[in-house]
Amino acid sequence: MEIAIGIAVIVVVLLVLVLFIVGIYNTLITSRNRYKNAFSQIDVQLKRRNDLIPNLVETAKGYMKHERQTLEAVVQARNVNAAALQQAAQAPGERQAMAALGSAEAQLAGALGRLFAVFEAYPDLKANQNMLALQEELTSTENKIAFARQAYNDAVMQYNNQRETFPNVVVASMFGFQEANLFEIEEPKEREAPQVKF
Amino acid sequence: MSTDFFEQQDVARRRTGWLVFFFLLAVAATVLAVYLVVAILVAAAQAEGQAGAEIESLWNPPLFLGVTLGVVSIILLGSLYRIAQFSTGGEAVALLLGGRRIDPQSRDLAERRLLNVVEEMAIASGVPVPPVYVLDAETSINAFAAGHQPGDAVIGVSRGCLEYLTRDELQGVMAHEFSHILNGDMRLDLRLAGTVFGILMLAVLGYYMLRIAGRMPQSNRKQGGGVALGLFLLGLALVLIGYIGVFFGKLIKAAVSRQREYLADSAAVQFTRFPGGIAGALKKIGGLPERSRIRDAHAEEVSHMFFSDAFEGMLLNFFATHPPLVKRIRRLDPTFDGRFPVVVPLREMGLAEADTGRVAAADQEAAQIREFLATPLDQRRRRARRLSPAQAISEAGTPKAAQLFYASSLMAAMPKALAEAAHEPYLARALICALLLSRDLAVRQTQLDALAKQAEPRLYQDIVRLAALTDQLGEEARVPLVDATYPVLRMLSPRQYAAFRQHVETLVEADDRIDLFEYMIRVMLLRNLDVHFGRTRPPIRRYSAITPLVGPLGTVLSTLAYAGHETQEDAERAFSQATAALGRGVPLLPKQDCTLTALDKALAELAQAAPKLQRIILAACVASIAADGKVAVRENELLRVVAGILGSPVPPIPLSELGATTATN
Repeated sequence: MEIAIGIAVIVVVLLVLVLFIVGIYNTLITSRNRYKNAFSQIDVQLKRRNDLIPNLVETAKGYMKHERQTLEAVVQARNVNAAALQQAAQAPGERQAMAALGSAEAQLAGALGRLFAVFEAYPDLKANQNMLALQEELTSTENKIAFARQAYNDAVMQYNNQRETFPNVVVASMFGFQEANLFEIEEPKEREAPQVKF
Repeated sequence: MSTDFFEQQDVARRRTGWLVFFFLLAVAATVLAVYLVVAILVAAAQAEGQAGAEIESLWNPPLFLGVTLGVVSIILLGSLYRIAQFSTGGEAVALLLGGRRIDPQSRDLAERRLLNVVEEMAIASGVPVPPVYVLDAETSINAFAAGHQPGDAVIGVSRGCLEYLTRDELQGVMAHEFSHILNGDMRLDLRLAGTVFGILMLAVLGYYMLRIAGRMPQSNRKQGGGVALGLFLLGLALVLIGYIGVFFGKLIKAAVSRQREYLADSAAVQFTRFPGGIAGALKKIGGLPERSRIRDAHAEEVSHMFFSDAFEGMLLNFFATHPPLVKRIRRLDPTFDGRFPVVVPLREMGLAEADTGRVAAADQEAAQIREFLATPLDQRRRRARRLSPAQAISEAGTPKAAQLFYASSLMAAMPKALAEAAHEPYLARALICALLLSRDLAVRQTQLDALAKQAEPRLYQDIVRLAALTDQLGEEARVPLVDATYPVLRMLSPRQYAAFRQHVETLVEADDRIDLFEYMIRVMLLRNLDVHFGRTRPPIRRYSAITPLVGPLGTVLSTLAYAGHETQEDAERAFSQATAALGRGVPLLPKQDCTLTALDKALAELAQAAPKLQRIILAACVASIAADGKVAVRENELLRVVAGILGSPVPPIPLSELGATTATN
């Protein structure tokens, strides 16, 4: 008789425990999915931006015949970015991938910045309709990237917060929920001294 | 004898009663079964101690009480847990099954096609466009719709749908799912899934106990061994008993949800006017080796939510959740010979064949729709159509083929910049803000000034830029555009949503003279999104009698009467006509008491009315707004927004009516 009651109590306690753990597990899964989904938004916009760049370079090439280095730096940075993006898309939130993407972004931003600075010397190019349209699209895409990045980082922070509170942290380590990493753009290292043209 | 939308919703609500009844029956049966097993175990244990003693009566009140309490609390806990998990909306079901959300800007052709089909259907039904999830791991053909109400619905499809179904067939399946969304079946399904989980759980628990018992040491036969054996037997018993739960679960689902699948099929035909679409999908299911089987572990819990049977050929299929495949096909296509086609992925057939969509509307209707949409705004006479309350009711929740064609034509005619903005989260915010700008230039300036203080400069510029385009839109395009932005607005982070919400409120509060139409859009939009972001709960339909609603009804009808009429007398006349049918005295409010905040509160109350009351409320709203039984495009759209807030979505204009050119300028 006592055994029966004992078993019944064990069963109920076990059940409550299981449900509790499953509840936390589901919460973490949902949060994780949310930041992964948010990353796919970034993916879409970054791809779009990267697709604009070859056209931009082609248009500029026609006018800027002596700026080969600057143009090539842009192409190079773009390719690095595309590769980093593909890696990150496989493992959104993973530390290496996000860091690589962050520095690729910085590199590309730097290269583009130098390119646009040089534009000033080419009024014909600046007035070119195609170039104007491309720049407009680029700006608009950059806005969307920034927005998507913000949403992603918000989702990552929410996930990390949920993961780190007690008792969630116990369940998280049981099932291998890793910390997620933000998408941050680092300052580019100085690669070359700026060229001065007279 | 076709039942209308409100009756359908009532039927769905009544079925909840059957759900509760069968559930209680199942609980009682389970309690008895568990008690029987436990009592036998206990008696056997006692008999062991006294060799040769007779087995006493199995009836043991304290034990029975203990078992009852234990079993009931287990079942209740399980059900409450699952119900709580599903309370956040349809997304929980999609994620449970391992669904991946399709990005609104996806470039995959098959995904794009599906998104377009869903968008057209939602606009044609007058509901917010639901997000779409795909179950990548399921190679069969199946689909589901989940949620509490159209505002938080999601659509899910299996990978097989994307790979095997043509556009027409996709449309047929989606039309079937939309009928569930509109009829209130979704809410019942969600409750069913949550409730039944409690019964299924026993089997799971028994399984765990078997495992634990298997791991316990068996060295001490007398003491430890007895416990391990007892645990093992109890575990086994729970598993067997748990299958009683599975049995009852299937019984409940069959009783509650099976019959309406035929209804949903015929509603789909009404919607698309092409039985070949949904019939084609069903035939392909038959021709595929795995048919519509869903492999995910959670499939059993939600098997009733799917388009077709998630399990096939099992013994317990006596209580299948869906009618037999052949019967369903024959109802749609009487010439069906019972032979299923060989199913080939679309990729191998060439996309050209796969993408052809049929024009659903009849030729004359299609011509009128095209003509209407092609007429420049300044040349459109202020067309009005005759609208009777009875007609509006018959249209609510029952979209037809003409509306489907209208929706796809409308989106095709939309300026590219606007269509793109509607499908991307960053610009969708700007688009909504642009749509909320008043047509009155003075008011608009006030709005823009207030916004400039709050919004980032880039967003402000985008709003102004998009406003130039939205100003060119006809009245009929605004609500569909808003409907189209829902999937991307739901993708905002909570922080981003809070900021966006603030912009919307600023625009609406900037000037007291904000137009009613813009205000109503704000109410509709924010109410649906607030539920998704967890700021409010979905409305519970708790009012069955009209008496507690007289006050809010008076507010709403007064406001609509003033909105639809120029003079005080006309407004009074319309109002008294509207309230005459109610059979009780409802006072007309003076104009200055019809504030927007009062309207907001009143609508929130009315949204909690039961479906049969909704019918009366909607009829009264129509009577109140229609001047001499005629509504112009703008008033029709206002009515649609109100109906949407009340939870009884009305499709866009039946354009055969607009052909009659009664200019009311």
